[in-house]
Amino acid sequence: MFNPLDHQGIPLERQLRNWRELDVDPIDPLAADPYTRCRIIALNGIEVEAILFSHHFARTCTDPEVKRQLAEIRYIEAQQQRVVNWLLPGVPSALETTIAYEQVAVDLTSWVARMEPDPYLQQAYEFGVLEDFDHLYRYANLFELIERRRAAKVVDDLTEVMPGRPTKAHHRHPVDNVRDPYDRTTVDPLSKLHALTIMAAEQQTMNFYMNVGPQYMEPIARQLYQEIGLIEEEHVTHYESLVDPGETWWERLVNHEYNECYLYYSFMTQESDPKVRAIWELHLNMEVEQLRIACDLMRRHDGREPADILAPALPEPVRFEPNKEFLRNLLATQIDLTTLGAGYVREAHERFERMQQQLHGGEAPASERVIDEHRAKFGDEYRIETAGPHPVTALRGEKQHA
Amino acid sequence: MPDQEDVVDLLLAQHARIEELFAAVLAGTGEARRESFHELVRLLAVHETAEEEIVHPLARRSIDAGDDVVEARLAEERAAKELLAELHDIGPDAPSFDSRIVVLRDAVLAHATYEERYEFPQLRHSVDADRLRGAARAVRAAEAVAPTRPHPGVESASANLLAGPAVAVFDRLRDAARDAMRH
Ligand SMILES: [Fe+2]
Ligand SMILES: [Fe+2]
Ligand SMILES: [Fe+2]
Ligand SMILES: [Fe+2]
Ligand SMILES: [Fe+2]
Repeated sequence: MFNPLDHQGIPLERQLRNWRELDVDPIDPLAADPYTRCRIIALNGIEVEAILFSHHFARTCTDPEVKRQLAEIRYIEAQQQRVVNWLLPGVPSALETTIAYEQVAVDLTSWVARMEPDPYLQQAYEFGVLEDFDHLYRYANLFELIERRRAAKVVDDLTEVMPGRPTKAHHRHPVDNVRDPYDRTTVDPLSKLHALTIMAAEQQTMNFYMNVGPQYMEPIARQLYQEIGLIEEEHVTHYESLVDPGETWWERLVNHEYNECYLYYSFMTQESDPKVRAIWELHLNMEVEQLRIACDLMRRHDGREPADILAPALPEPVRFEPNKEFLRNLLATQIDLTTLGAGYVREAHERFERMQQQLHGGEAPASERVIDEHRAKFGDEYRIETAGPHPVTALRGEKQHA
Repeated sequence: MPDQEDVVDLLLAQHARIEELFAAVLAGTGEARRESFHELVRLLAVHETAEEEIVHPLARRSIDAGDDVVEARLAEERAAKELLAELHDIGPDAPSFDSRIVVLRDAVLAHATYEERYEFPQLRHSVDADRLRGAARAVRAAEAVAPTRPHPGVESASANLLAGPAVAVFDRLRDAARDAMRH
């Protein structure tokens, strides 16, 4: 297995790219592999987190030499982000890209939930994925309602589109979104990578919705982005609270760089588009060097050996692949869960009810109305159920349109 | 609910269908491919003509910097029409068809995206709903001269429409659109 600590990357001073190198060709807007688009979106989230993390670190850092080093690496991370996200073509609307964001959340979180060794962390991913699964269904209905496109053109038949835990029930009291963290001294190194990855993906989703939502004129679209954007705020809280806050800044820097290596390596081994694959490979070679520098900083300032907190080699590569049976099983067993404190319950407890009352004020939120409006306009709702009827009988729709 | 549908809804649905047909042509072979291409040519002719005769004039009069926006769209449409006419003339079995239809597809997709970003939302914002619904009726009336499905073996109006050179198709649709606007 690949161990990024054993490899030599591209020296930092040779990582800077000029405008021509930054001006990458986007993927095909109609014919690209949906999972290529998912890998682009996921890695964009990872690079955005690399940039934001480094900024926060720099703001608390008193050593001017380290600040300069961080700035230098961060500029390269920023170029990496511009290259990765610019692989997305300009033709699709923000809403079309939104559907791809939810597909990422569904299939990436499912993978992580399946691979997660710690049962408490695993429950956190299983809980969250049923919510993004429902967001996908709500946005898919909005997509046909206002743009007349079908979500099938984005997700193909890889990811099903049908109700999950109803979006209106995602609005919990904020204190119930805070989970217990793992213990950095005993946790499996893979669990740290999982938490960082999903936190980064959800953070980028939150950023995206809270910024593109107001670009729509249709009231239902503006309102749905506001509603789901606030749930992504809950998701960031949920996932970031899994990370041990006792990790030092140096340790966190190493974890970030290591995770970037892990994901570029993973997606490089899976990528179907050769041009995109070449970028994953190039970025992996950059990250290996960024990791080496981070490890040096940790040794110098923390007096600890990075190998002690990292896995001996990269874990099994992350893969984008269909998770239909896994999700159907979760739908059948966990759809009615909510959170109470750091745990999970089935009953709508008092704090949950109060939050629901204050927020909805007795009215149907946009996530409900978008389905009603779709039914009023087309006579049914938009779903893609390729593996049979909905596993929850009460959520089986009337006939689907062809 | 076609009667409540406004012209933007109608054009968006056509954009969606055009995308699907491009995908079908590129993925298809033999008779299926020829049929998809046939439907694509017909729909593009109907759609672009309706935009030129009905929608762009409305935008020109009612949206901010309407002249500039519409001139840019018309230039894109001219370029796309030339490509379409060439493809229609060489036919889907020609060796250069594949590479050329990708060029046409990219031009049409870009054009549709510009409309959806710089023209349609502005139309909805500044033209009243009744007029937008009226424009939808005019587009449908113009479309009616080209039936949706050519029946194999029967010389349908659509088959006739597409039998000659592509330029004639546009001329015929333009007359129909102008007619529809007068009623
Ligand atoms: Fe990076
Ligand atoms: Fe979501
Ligand atoms: Fe989420
Ligand atoms: Fe990095
Ligand atoms: Fe158009």
